[in-house]
Amino acid sequence: MKKYLAVFLGILSAIGGFVDIGDLVTNAQVGSRFGMSLGWVVVIGVLGICVFAEMSGRVAAVSHRPVFDLVRERLGPRVGFLNLFGSVAVTFLTFIAEIGGVALGLELVTSVYYLLWVPFVAVLVWVILWRAKFSAMENVLGMMGLALVVFGVALWHLHPDWTHLVNQMATADKPHDEGWLVYCYYAVALFGAAMTPYEVFFFSSGGVEERWTEKDIGLMRANVLIGFPLGGLLSLAIAGAAAVVLLPPGISVDTLGQVGLPVAVSLGKIGLGIAVLGFVAATLGAACETGLSVGYSVAQYFGFQWGKYVRPNEAAMFHTLIAVSVAIGAGVLMTAVDPIIVTEFSVVFSALALPLTYFPILVVANDPDYMGEHANGPVANTLGLIYLVLVVVASVAAIPLMIITKMGQ
Amino acid sequence: MTQDYVRPPHPGPIESWPDAEYDAALHLLDRQIVAVDGRLVGKVDDVELTVDPDGSLVPTGLQVGAAALLPRFGGGLGSWLAERHEQIGCARADRTTPYVVDMALVDDVTSEVHVTQPREGLLRRRVPGLEEPTRHTLGQLLEMTVRMPPEVEGPAEATVLDVRISARDGTQRVSALVVGHGRPGSLLGYERSRDQGPWLIAAIVRRIHRHTRIVELGPDVDLVWETGEVRVGPGTVVHQLPD
Repeated sequence: MKKYLAVFLGILSAIGGFVDIGDLVTNAQVGSRFGMSLGWVVVIGVLGICVFAEMSGRVAAVSHRPVFDLVRERLGPRVGFLNLFGSVAVTFLTFIAEIGGVALGLELVTSVYYLLWVPFVAVLVWVILWRAKFSAMENVLGMMGLALVVFGVALWHLHPDWTHLVNQMATADKPHDEGWLVYCYYAVALFGAAMTPYEVFFFSSGGVEERWTEKDIGLMRANVLIGFPLGGLLSLAIAGAAAVVLLPPGISVDTLGQVGLPVAVSLGKIGLGIAVLGFVAATLGAACETGLSVGYSVAQYFGFQWGKYVRPNEAAMFHTLIAVSVAIGAGVLMTAVDPIIVTEFSVVFSALALPLTYFPILVVANDPDYMGEHANGPVANTLGLIYLVLVVVASVAAIPLMIITKMGQ
Repeated sequence: MTQDYVRPPHPGPIESWPDAEYDAALHLLDRQIVAVDGRLVGKVDDVELTVDPDGSLVPTGLQVGAAALLPRFGGGLGSWLAERHEQIGCARADRTTPYVVDMALVDDVTSEVHVTQPREGLLRRRVPGLEEPTRHTLGQLLEMTVRMPPEVEGPAEATVLDVRISARDGTQRVSALVVGHGRPGSLLGYERSRDQGPWLIAAIVRRIHRHTRIVELGPDVDLVWETGEVRVGPGTVVHQLPD
């Protein structure tokens, strides 16, 4: 019974944990401009994060090695450092966006300007990372993030023409007034939002924190293969609701309030309230995950003690790093930079940085010295190679598309 | 806290430590060092190689810290970083001496390196004795240029990509060098067997490293540390990578 509860809890928090500020903003933006014509990218992205997370989770369970241990062991100190720098920069950018997202969510509830909330949110994140137990943090925030299911309810309540939405998605039927380059730019952004690297850093380091062994591979797979696709459905619901409500009148999404607008139209105040609760929980959870991921990555490269399974004073350098990141992150937000713009940058840079960690994980997941009998089988390797090509293409295309389309304008 | 620490298993062909034979860059360098209390100490930033009275190289310690890590960035960048590190701590006499974990303290190597002491105060610098043996590092060896004579099959000029250490007689010694084009680590572990997937990466790595050979150390192989050269004589035993 306890085991089934663990599976259930894990899946629920994986659903809530999948959606973060990047998914919220990008899916709503894409839905409001392209309808469901980019929905297939979400499907590909979700399958990609399943492949990536399953491999890194399996490596963590069998060899007890998280992502950046493997990056350093396989690529050496020089390339490994470049890798660390790129990945941490993107994760830190995402961290800033998530803190901003929490503050924007609180502004929606209280009508108090979000910049006033930023210092409080930063302190809250720091206290959670310093004091809270790992599993409590993950389960409580993941579970509250499930409030975002309200987007699915809202979409259903709008009585959309389902065949039209599915047809749009299957035929990639983009609106005629949007160009193909902009379409491709948003495809890369959606891909980056679904396959954010920090999710994998957090997932594999969390596996090591919770002392997974070979016996936990089944549980880990259930979390990944059920939780992430259900989270992907949430993403599609956000895009769908935006497609139905925002696309016809041509409303563009530039604020978090506009992301929640379709829910308000469909379900009224109560629905919007639940959606905002979901925003705050999902972004706060993701802020904790990204903040930890910054500490995890740097500590794993240099080899000093990391993790919440030891008391903070036994991992002093790790907690110092997190405290400094929180302070700098809050400082960046206090310059009044728009968190939504930071989010747009972070998802595109995620796509750019993805191959840096994907490639070494794919190599090690095949290495018999680490994996023994649990090395990649033919299915994992076929998918692994297909996604290696996809992540490299998305990474190479990201910056040129960003420049040519002026970030999708 | 200590008792719940579980060591990772030995999943692969490497069973016990010291292993009969292992490639130091692949299996030892950059691995996590874990103390007996399960706490993380640092990475194997470099490996200390001591010249034995009989002339062979024996791995005697794991080097930890910036003084060991920075030169391993390689070439001009590595020495530039090491110089800056020296400059920043110019008041400290021992700033260029890395911390060492003596090889005698290592009791097992799985996917991490286990030592028999607790973390607290584990890292020390070597204090020079009266008759200090000559010491080099694995990092230096991995930077060396290999010059092969035309009689020996293989690339005429190459780099040391990995260093094979065998422990057949109980003492670990450097027994062979994996030499080829590219940088250490560029083999990604694909030199061990052809079966390791995914096929595309394996095929590309094998293609890039088609000239890579294993050079057995012997009387005809001369390691010139001053110039960073390995001079290979005509009578040297050279193997292909295993299939």
